[in-house]
Amino acid sequence: MEATAPGHNRTGSGLNPGDTQLMLAAVRELSPLSPISTRQAEVERLSYISAADTIGSIPPPLSVTTGAVKKVAAKLKGVSPNIFLDKLGERIAFERAGTRLYEAIIAKYVALIDNHGDSLLAANTIPTASGQNGHGAPTSETALETLHRIRSEELGHFRLLCDATTHLGADATAQTPCADVIATASMGLLQVITDPRTTLAQSLNAILTAELTDNAGWELLTDLATQAGQKELAEQFSRALAAEAQHQAIVTAWLKSLVVDAVGSPAV
Amino acid sequence: MTIDLLKDKGTPPEKQRMSWKDLVGKPISKLDDDAFTRARIILMNGLELDSLRTKQVALRMNRDARVELAQLMRAEHHQATAVNWLIGADHSPLETTIAYEQVAIEVTAAVAQLEPDEYLAQGYRYALLEDFDHLYRYSALLDRLEGKDANNIVQGYTDIVPARPTTVHHRAPEHDLLRPYERSAALATKLHAVTLTGGEYQTHDYYMNIGPLFADPLARQLYAEIASVEAQHITHYGSMINPEESLLEKLLIGEACEVWNYAACVEQESNPRVKAIWERFLDYELGHLQVALKLCKDIERRDPAEILGDTRLPPGIEFKSHREFLKETIARETSLRKDATEFVSEDQEGRSSLAYRDVLNADGSPSAAISETYSWTPGTELARADLAA
Repeated sequence: MEATAPGHNRTGSGLNPGDTQLMLAAVRELSPLSPISTRQAEVERLSYISAADTIGSIPPPLSVTTGAVKKVAAKLKGVSPNIFLDKLGERIAFERAGTRLYEAIIAKYVALIDNHGDSLLAANTIPTASGQNGHGAPTSETALETLHRIRSEELGHFRLLCDATTHLGADATAQTPCADVIATASMGLLQVITDPRTTLAQSLNAILTAELTDNAGWELLTDLATQAGQKELAEQFSRALAAEAQHQAIVTAWLKSLVVDAVGSPAV
Repeated sequence: MTIDLLKDKGTPPEKQRMSWKDLVGKPISKLDDDAFTRARIILMNGLELDSLRTKQVALRMNRDARVELAQLMRAEHHQATAVNWLIGADHSPLETTIAYEQVAIEVTAAVAQLEPDEYLAQGYRYALLEDFDHLYRYSALLDRLEGKDANNIVQGYTDIVPARPTTVHHRAPEHDLLRPYERSAALATKLHAVTLTGGEYQTHDYYMNIGPLFADPLARQLYAEIASVEAQHITHYGSMINPEESLLEKLLIGEACEVWNYAACVEQESNPRVKAIWERFLDYELGHLQVALKLCKDIERRDPAEILGDTRLPPGIEFKSHREFLKETIARETSLRKDATEFVSEDQEGRSSLAYRDVLNADGSPSAAISETYSWTPGTELARADLAA
């Protein structure tokens, strides 16, 4: 891993003013400026959007007995059962992928320590949701220990969601429409973190995007569970949300410390 | 469906017209469409591209047929576009890879059971066990890299277990060759060989295109490794094809192959919109076949019945799970190896393959590394009860 430093970045127009002027001359001759219109593309896109089918459907309940769908609906009064199950599926997919994202950033951090003999992330002092004595007391763990703990908590959240889904009679292994969509949205995060060339700071930036999404997703799911009258589920989701809030705070603090205090180090 | 390869005229090429909107239609649903609808799309895209490739070679070697070949190539290209663009953008490259391997497995298993020549049937079973192992390795990567379950793609039709380990697929080139079929072979034998060659070529090209798009170094290595094996499979299947066939003979067999496969797609397709595409393109291929028949008669002065036999289509590929056949084949034949064109026991493998393999695996084996201790679990490895949180 190497520090990001000034060098021979060739992408800017300002680097080659002579060539840029030649390009502008070509533009004046062959595609002179006119008022911008993207109407044709918009019309075409509109036609595809209007005609499009859905990504897919909500999977059927696991039980094949008569009234299985109604039983699920009965457990989720006050919300659309389909939306609730879809969002559960989305969280399952995201926590699973999130566990793998943390495995990837742990690998990157271990490489940093192994190669440069120093841990550039401060020991975490942000309290866990429950803390050592259950009262939110400060905890002290190395950054590596924190990364492993967060990874374990993401895995724990995945299992919580699978249990909740199964309890409601749905299939926790199915890919719901929102699960599919969130996976597509997340592809870039994986590409950033698994690229050996990206720095720890760049990777933490991607992880922060994941945590922000995670927090928003848990908040929504907690609201849905509350509205559905699923008190126990809502409490469990609320605890998961609190843990995710801590993850976000930790990653934010690390990222800030790296880009403010550790500029020039291999981590940035 | 009864088709007569000489009499059914289909749609003449000059009437085969599609707009960009026709070419770029609605994709299938990754979630709701049957895995075999996706399998048929992947297969037919591969066959269209192989048809295009064969005609491109023919164009460079036959002055008299250039105009007709150029016209047919354009049609094949646009058909390939319309078919391949049925795959939706929510298929990640690795999920699409899982689908590609499922196609290779189930289509090869079907062909291995249809093939009347016992030696070539062995050839199909041999490569089948290698594509089956590829599915297992890529599934491990999908699980451990993207956190996804390969069964969302294979839908319970295809087992996700190791077979002949990818680590030992790497053979010296001379040991990938097979004895080709005779020119007098049954039409079925010829269609099978052309089908599988086209399928493997497509798979190879797909992995070569997407391999470098992965950031993860182990993913990049795995695609490099398996793409190399797919290159071997192109030689394996391609060498089944008789090298003394004339170019126009190959053209005729190629068109018959497309007709044969589209007919099977029409008969078995569950998605009505996609079925309509298969029906349209079956008619297009019958139209292409008419052009190939005329070229054969006019330029080579040959009776097409010499090449096509009794002009009826042989039994088609069954798009279904071949689980039991695969289990039996794994039990019997995983330990088989190659010595030149022959299938031999492990200790008789061609010596040059061992040296070749040692060079490639000198710094380790990506396929072994990514799948270390991997066992497929519904909902991914992270759902395993014995995995501590």
